[in-house]
Amino acid sequence: MNRSVIIAVAAIGALAAAGCSSSSSSSSSATSSSSTASTSTKACVASTGIEGPLTGPVASLGQEQLHFAELAVAMDNAANHTQISIVQGDTQLTPSIAVTVTQQFTSNSKIVAVVGPAGSQEVEAVGPLMARAGLAFISGSATAVALTTGKYPTFFRTVSKDSVQGPQDANYIVNVLKPKALMIVDDEEAYSTGLVSAMIPVFQAAGIKVDHESVSQKITDFSSLVAKITPAETVVVLPWQIAANAQQFGRDMAQEHKNAVIFGTDGLFSPGTFEITGSYVSSFGPDITAIPADAAIVAAAHAKYGSFGTFGPPVFAAQHVIDEAIASVCKSGQTPTRANVLAAIKQTNEPTSILGQPIQFNSSGDLVNGKFFLFKITSSGKYQLIPSS
Amino acid sequence: MAFFFQELVNGITTGALYALVALGFSMVYGVLKLLNFAHGDLYMVGAYIGFFVIRWFGGPTALTIPVPLLLVIMFVLAAGLVGGLGVAIERFAYRPLRNAPRIAPLITAIGVSFFLENSALLLFGAQYRIYNTPDFISFSTGIRIGSVSIDAVQIMCLLLGLMLMVGLRLLVSRTRLGKQMRAVAVDREAAEMLGINVNFTIAATFFIGSALAGVAGVMAGLLFNQVNSTIGFLVGLKAFTASVVGGIGSIPGAMLGGLLIGIAESFITGYISSLYSDLLVFALLIVVMLVRPSGLLGQVQLQKV
Repeated sequence: MNRSVIIAVAAIGALAAAGCSSSSSSSSSATSSSSTASTSTKACVASTGIEGPLTGPVASLGQEQLHFAELAVAMDNAANHTQISIVQGDTQLTPSIAVTVTQQFTSNSKIVAVVGPAGSQEVEAVGPLMARAGLAFISGSATAVALTTGKYPTFFRTVSKDSVQGPQDANYIVNVLKPKALMIVDDEEAYSTGLVSAMIPVFQAAGIKVDHESVSQKITDFSSLVAKITPAETVVVLPWQIAANAQQFGRDMAQEHKNAVIFGTDGLFSPGTFEITGSYVSSFGPDITAIPADAAIVAAAHAKYGSFGTFGPPVFAAQHVIDEAIASVCKSGQTPTRANVLAAIKQTNEPTSILGQPIQFNSSGDLVNGKFFLFKITSSGKYQLIPSS
Repeated sequence: MAFFFQELVNGITTGALYALVALGFSMVYGVLKLLNFAHGDLYMVGAYIGFFVIRWFGGPTALTIPVPLLLVIMFVLAAGLVGGLGVAIERFAYRPLRNAPRIAPLITAIGVSFFLENSALLLFGAQYRIYNTPDFISFSTGIRIGSVSIDAVQIMCLLLGLMLMVGLRLLVSRTRLGKQMRAVAVDREAAEMLGINVNFTIAATFFIGSALAGVAGVMAGLLFNQVNSTIGFLVGLKAFTASVVGGIGSIPGAMLGGLLIGIAESFITGYISSLYSDLLVFALLIVVMLVRPSGLLGQVQLQKV
């Protein structure tokens, strides 16, 4: 085999690997994480699925989501005397893999509801399958506006949508930070580009000069991009999902003596990882470590899984909604099915939740009165809630 | 002008990293004609070793040993352990396939890459591990000329990278082991008949190439502060591109290719837009391949008929 053939084969291999999204091994496996307890006549037994990026480049987010779902199930099983188990599905944040996982879930009659998937693009891909199977699914991180326009009647989410976050953040920047020019950098993912699209019109309408840049989530060297920040650009907007990248961006800014303020969206809400002093971060939930009612959950999560960011708690809320729906079905003397669990989820009306706000869904599956919170990072790395937000 | 030099410094630093990883790619290809796609993951393992060394010695804010000693331990340990891992991979994954069709070790290499990536995920978790370099090497220890900033870590990584590249060049061109490597690269069977221990030479090649990836991993951790099980993929792809641009199998070519890609990325980001960085870098690869299919410093192989 001559050299050019080898290189061509290698290039195909590399592209194939890239197409797999740097993923880690497992394909779209759907494996049971906990065994279903033996059935007795009075036991309330059910399985729920979780779809998330459990491996691959954003596995850190997916693992956090899985941990909080497991935590919710453990606590709810103990509180409600139920025997709910979780079936894991690794989507690697890739719509095609999410479809395969969903097909496995919909063909598994034991699964009565699903938490996830994580990404808006995945919800778009699996929505019709879930609807056809009558399977309720609740995402704790998909924020695209288009998801709750009625296309997917079994879809719900425990986070607010981009049409709330993007303009809210942009207006804060315009009215409070008042930059004459700014840099906004997307990370080439749908979450990020969607927010950028929502923010740029607000900036332009305010007469702010916008330098729109783009950098892959997989890049960790931002020095060249940071060198482009001009003295007039006093704000850098990072609608990113990987907090460690934003931390490095801030470090590169310090190294190159750039004084712009970083403004991150909810994907960067990660105390302990992103802690550039003076930066702003918005979040679909408050810092649960500061909510006294969440102390037990926070302690359990810290003890079992270490530090966590913003992606776990909304999944805890989603799993809790499903667990309560299953428990209410059992209490009414019925066996949990997809139909009665879906109906119970629609009736959800929790006066408070791990997110520090009530959980109730409107007819489109959106959170009623969902909002975003804004934090400023102090010199000690703490996230301080800005009251007016 | 300051902006130009800032981007040049940034580009050379990134390019030196690519070059170190590309060297391993090129060495292994030169000797075995194997594209070792697991090479980027060895870089990831090196970065993890550096991280755990920092933790073992008290963490970035409470180091129990002087910083220079810490750095020496990080680099030596990463080079040694990753080099050893490279030798083990060669022994158990590639050597049994040495006489198989070339597609077999190529697919095995992709398999080894996924194996390493997922092993790291299982062992170390999915979260990003942060070096926090500025906590023990302050930015103020660097150089500032006008508005061009070069911090101490950048200077150290550049110097170390250059030293390793020159050292490798000397090793290959001036030492007995280097001659053996070149002989095995030209004709493995003939080298064996001349009494060269081919297995040892190939293992040594893997050790050196992998050790360079391990060192590059520590450098990346110090420069970019973070390590995660997936960081090797993109760097591996860029290093592969660098070695192809430079002329795969050519050591100076790998250095040139790495630096060229690092600088190109930096200037494209700085002067055009980061939106087009990867697009233009890979367009550069296509142009080089069209103009010089064997790479900038690669040699055209004659086909005997």
